[in-house]
Amino acid sequence: MTQQVQFTKAVGNASEINELLRRYGVKFGIYKNGVFNEQFFPFDPIPRVITAEDFQSMEKGLAQRVKALNEFLFDIYHEKKIVHDGIIPEDFIYISKGYLAECEGITPKNNVYSHISGIDLVQAKNGEWYILEDNLRIPSGASYPLIARDLTRIAAPQAFEENPIIDNRGYAELLKETMENVNCGGARAILTPGRYNAAYFEHSYLAELTDSVLVQNDELFVEDNILYYHTYSGGKSRIGVLYRRIADEYLDPLTFLPESLIGIPNLMEAYRSGNVGIINAPGNGVADDKGIYYFVPKMIKYYLGEEPILKNAPTYLPFYEEDMKYVMEHLDKLVIKDVAEAGGYGVVFGSKLTKEKLEEFRKTIIAEPRRFIAQEVIDFLDLPIIEDNETVMRKADLRAFVLSGAETKVWASGLTRFSRNPDSFVVNSSQGGGFKDTWVLSR
Amino acid sequence: MKRVNFFYSTKLTFDDYVHNHSFALRVIPPETDTQHILSCSLNIAPYIPTKQTVDAFGNNVTAGYMRDDHRFLDFEIKGSAQVNHNKRRTDYMPCYLYQSQYTKPDNGLKTFYESIKKKCTGTVAEKAEYICNILSGTVEYEKGFTDTTTTAEQAFALKKGVCQDFSHILISLLRMEGIPARYIAGLAFCDGETHSWVEYWTGDHWEGIDPANNCPVNDDYIVISQGRDFRDCAIDRGVMFGKYTKQLQLVRSEMT
Repeated sequence: MTQQVQFTKAVGNASEINELLRRYGVKFGIYKNGVFNEQFFPFDPIPRVITAEDFQSMEKGLAQRVKALNEFLFDIYHEKKIVHDGIIPEDFIYISKGYLAECEGITPKNNVYSHISGIDLVQAKNGEWYILEDNLRIPSGASYPLIARDLTRIAAPQAFEENPIIDNRGYAELLKETMENVNCGGARAILTPGRYNAAYFEHSYLAELTDSVLVQNDELFVEDNILYYHTYSGGKSRIGVLYRRIADEYLDPLTFLPESLIGIPNLMEAYRSGNVGIINAPGNGVADDKGIYYFVPKMIKYYLGEEPILKNAPTYLPFYEEDMKYVMEHLDKLVIKDVAEAGGYGVVFGSKLTKEKLEEFRKTIIAEPRRFIAQEVIDFLDLPIIEDNETVMRKADLRAFVLSGAETKVWASGLTRFSRNPDSFVVNSSQGGGFKDTWVLSR
Repeated sequence: MKRVNFFYSTKLTFDDYVHNHSFALRVIPPETDTQHILSCSLNIAPYIPTKQTVDAFGNNVTAGYMRDDHRFLDFEIKGSAQVNHNKRRTDYMPCYLYQSQYTKPDNGLKTFYESIKKKCTGTVAEKAEYICNILSGTVEYEKGFTDTTTTAEQAFALKKGVCQDFSHILISLLRMEGIPARYIAGLAFCDGETHSWVEYWTGDHWEGIDPANNCPVNDDYIVISQGRDFRDCAIDRGVMFGKYTKQLQLVRSEMT
């Protein structure tokens, strides 16, 4: 903690950096009751600090996990050995909304499915890290610590002279390498649904950093199963790798949702033909399904023959009779998650429910056991944040970014999100949380 | 075993010029264990280059893109095949056991299943025939009440439908019974348009059953495409731009 205080002094007051962030337009869009609001994503200047020793083991654990998840995705869309060998019950795969039968048999370039993985962790009071969830579809947030770091460097240069902080600007190069690893010949492009998307700021920022074209679907077309964009001169130019920031279901109206207005017709044909790399691969949702999360430690053993380095939060699947019994007996102490929801929605803390609601919820779980997972509430290590010039303690998690190019690499930084509400464990930016930079020390 | 000639054509006419038109056709019958394609030609007008792929379900996909203004798109296939349903298809996919967009049952369909499930006994084939038989006595074949967006539960509530609806309801019921089933779009002698029927998995191979006619599938049927439901099997899917994209679709098929 003394170290934290020292860093607080080092970076000084939040207001200057927040003012800079505001001026640079770092924003986050949120939907509420059908209305789009562009919100400023509040930044707290006290960084989360991860020691070199802590990061080394975390790095190994994260790379191990993402390797296993990539193997799993390849297996599921090909031979399905893990199901045949009885490690994961078939139901969990095929009922998952993230499983896309349309992707069966497609082999993405270099067998990479999850090029950019956002793994959410929390640190318990005893210092141990736990995996909360994997985000293998379109994890967002890498741009926030990048830009906050840049601005902190301007506002408090001495902090970086005095402390051995690993520079996080390497993300641009890492992302570029990851994109190039699956480039099928042509330009790099980032596909955004447009400026009304929650993460539009990030899309444009990453395009600039990686020297990619920022495109919307109406600038793209597939001809002869090759993806092109219309050039200003009226010609066409080939795209070799597409980092898309739209959901699978909207990606190609001729394969998925026909009513999608933000997709690219026949993109899947170009992809299947090996003419374009898609980051991340369509169909990844089957691996970051909250129900599949339970099986990730088993995957690590199954595919890699290794013991998992990082632990899952203790999780129960009401689908299994034994677990159902435990969940029913301890419902008031557990956190229950709806496997179909994301972004902090569908998370219920048993302790926060009235008796009536609890009984009602009990019935819902019994009726649809496959829909839920239950977890022990981890006693988070709270982090200090500055609120009205005072330091207060709040719950926080860490989204680590793991990039799978020719090698699997963990970015020595990450997005630390905190809850501004002292009673809340939910830190998602779409739930009004704030963020911190994450400093990884080199020694 | 039988040798059949097949022909199928679609004429799409737009009310006004359209452009940037992407399409994906699933119209070339696949080569399978039960049908050996002797010849098949696909003609598209206006002329544009196309590319062929095979999708996840084993269907031939023809993709194309027309940037310039045009007012119509016509395509036709013509060919012949050697059909032999004594040979068996074994191209199984686990997703066929699970309900899909068009087959997801509501309470009406679930209650119906509960009411027939007791008498549904015997081998997989006997169960499938039993369910198909009951279905044909419950739902009436009638045109004009349903369209290509109608789901199994909607058609079942109407108690009316065409071959596509019969297939979806049967698939839904078979999957509730734990029998994997898939949707087939194809050509049959009895139709002037395309036809649809169902294949169920016996545990070791696929068997065809035609719920709209309540009969087994024989060598008079040619498979064009297959999938979890109609969504995977649409003969043509397209996206285009223009002031008026309303279209008139004329379909003709023949088998001899």
